[in-house]
Amino acid sequence: MNTYKIVSGSFIILAMTVNFGFFYGDPTVLIQHNEYELFAAIVINLITTVLKLGDKTQLGAVLLSTSIVADIQLIASATVWTIAEYMLHDTSVGTTTAIVSLSGGALIANIVSVVLYMGDTLKSKR
Amino acid sequence: MGNYIFWIILKRLRVPFLVIIITFTIAILGLKLIPGVDNAGHEYHLSFFDAFYFVSYMASTIGFGESPYDFTYPQRIWVSVMIYTTVIGWFYGVGAIVALIQDEALKKEIYRQKFQKHIQRLREPFYIILGYNSITKSIINRLNGCGFRVVVLDKNEEAIDTLILENFYPPVPSFVGDATSQHMLKLAGIHSKYCKGVISLFENDMTNSKIAVITKLLNKKIDIIVKATSQQQIEHFQSLNLQHIKNPFQIISQRIYYGIVAPHIWLLEMWMYGHVLKLRKRDYLPKGRYILCGTGRMGQAIKYGLQKAGVEYVEYDLNAKAYQKKNNTSVFGSQEDIDILLELGVKESSAIIAATKDDLLNLTLLSKAKQLNHDIFTIARENSLDELNIFQAAKVNRIYVIEKILADTTYNYIARPLADLFIHEARKRDDAWAQVIVNLLNNISGMNPKYYEKKINSDGAYALSNRLEKQETITLGDIRRSRENNKELLHIVYLLLKRGDEVFLVPDSSMPLEIDDELLIVADEENYNDFEYIINNYYELEYALEYHKKKLRSSSQ
Repeated sequence: MNTYKIVSGSFIILAMTVNFGFFYGDPTVLIQHNEYELFAAIVINLITTVLKLGDKTQLGAVLLSTSIVADIQLIASATVWTIAEYMLHDTSVGTTTAIVSLSGGALIANIVSVVLYMGDTLKSKR
Repeated sequence: MGNYIFWIILKRLRVPFLVIIITFTIAILGLKLIPGVDNAGHEYHLSFFDAFYFVSYMASTIGFGESPYDFTYPQRIWVSVMIYTTVIGWFYGVGAIVALIQDEALKKEIYRQKFQKHIQRLREPFYIILGYNSITKSIINRLNGCGFRVVVLDKNEEAIDTLILENFYPPVPSFVGDATSQHMLKLAGIHSKYCKGVISLFENDMTNSKIAVITKLLNKKIDIIVKATSQQQIEHFQSLNLQHIKNPFQIISQRIYYGIVAPHIWLLEMWMYGHVLKLRKRDYLPKGRYILCGTGRMGQAIKYGLQKAGVEYVEYDLNAKAYQKKNNTSVFGSQEDIDILLELGVKESSAIIAATKDDLLNLTLLSKAKQLNHDIFTIARENSLDELNIFQAAKVNRIYVIEKILADTTYNYIARPLADLFIHEARKRDDAWAQVIVNLLNNISGMNPKYYEKKINSDGAYALSNRLEKQETITLGDIRRSRENNKELLHIVYLLLKRGDEVFLVPDSSMPLEIDDELLIVADEENYNDFEYIINNYYELEYALEYHKKKLRSSSQ
């Protein structure tokens, strides 16, 4: 048992679950998607990315890249939201769908990351 | 993923990044949750964007002021706590990055990678030189001038720094590392297909032999040029099947031997190293009695040379270290010393050789001998180049500088293999033969001719190799015609022709050429340029060959 492994493992899972929490709901209704949840998703994803840094193995590199993809998608989602609300004053169904579907992309990246992580765990003998 | 630097940086940045992310998150969340009051007195909450914007400039100490409205006291209390948290986190992050840039391990890693890339990019034949000092410096200078590249390894960081300051062109990749470690040799490109050889001329024989063994194991194909100063060491190297073993003392011994027995062979060798092609009076070694001072490695080697030459000599067992210990000085010349010299028969002898490790001792010994016998021929061993001027000023008749000999012979071996071969072959002949050659060269090319090496292939002799490929018979004499008038001869001498493993010394004019023949040619610059024209240019070659055809026609009529 290794504290670092527990922390990084839980963050990898948490990144996916929080991401799902924001994504879940009608993609056309913005009320069903909480901004705090998006903020938490971004922060946790960033932390997960940092925790994955510095693993020189092939798997480590792939895990890092899935996290970077999730970061990009979530930050894009937040940026679209900010621009739509403060610059365009437009929170129509179109922008709502864009915000939610961007986070959906991040969710898939996070799922890939978790699957890889689980596979690696199962593969190791101990 | 071989990019170590990248991973080192990422790993080190993990904690600073985490600190920044977490402090920012806390600060942003707090600002988002604490209610504020807008200009109209209504309660409002900062949006995530407002909070992110404010925290970003707060943490980086830019501080544009409170936005979008003035803060209430609860907000200000939160901000004042958060200033200290985020600013400290931010500074810690920046500090960690700066520390990382200055990190020795990272610097070394970056330098290592630059070195490795540089070697991978080398597309010319190169030699790995181990150890940087005045010998290797002069080898580098000369090798750089003739199409070879050089890679240097040295354990000493200062030596590498001096090398970098030297600004060689083309640049010399260098790295601080132990030359006896196989890891370092691999890094220096010993497995590269462009690596021609390893040069190891360390003072310490053990180091040289260690390197020779490792190199031999790592790469069988490359040349190993190695210094050995004892017979035992030479035998050890020969058992390893090394092609080239450098023993400076043996070289000196041979030079003295040929200087006494066959001065013209000596002259031919010295001319290859830049001597004028003429024996002056002072170049002759006297034939009388010799005094040999010093019985170390060099003394032993010279003794062998003198014995072989059949010269009468006396030995004086002078050891530099013991002398210094006994007399507390390296200056030779006390009454006791003079008595010893007289006892050795300095007045009756014709030459004296000072062969100790101590330059000052050698110098003072010779000047004392000169005082006692004005006509004595003085020969000195000089260990480091720095003091050459003093020796020259002291009017020592002959100076053997170990460093220079090593540099010269190594360079000739690498860059002028035919010249090296010629010396080797010439030594098998006698002095009369050498005298004929010297006269021949003097008659055709003057007192200070140059020598050139030429390989007959499409790179070096385009027109000639093309015609040889068509099965034409062209002899050495055929292409030795003047460009102005093909009835006249070009003033060049073919000194040696190498065909595969066969070597022809001073080949005959009627000898037909073949592709891949290697020629050692003596000429002045102008005539050699003409020769280059003839063998590379179709029209020039045709004109040169015309003379031969005309002759054939007239003889058949």
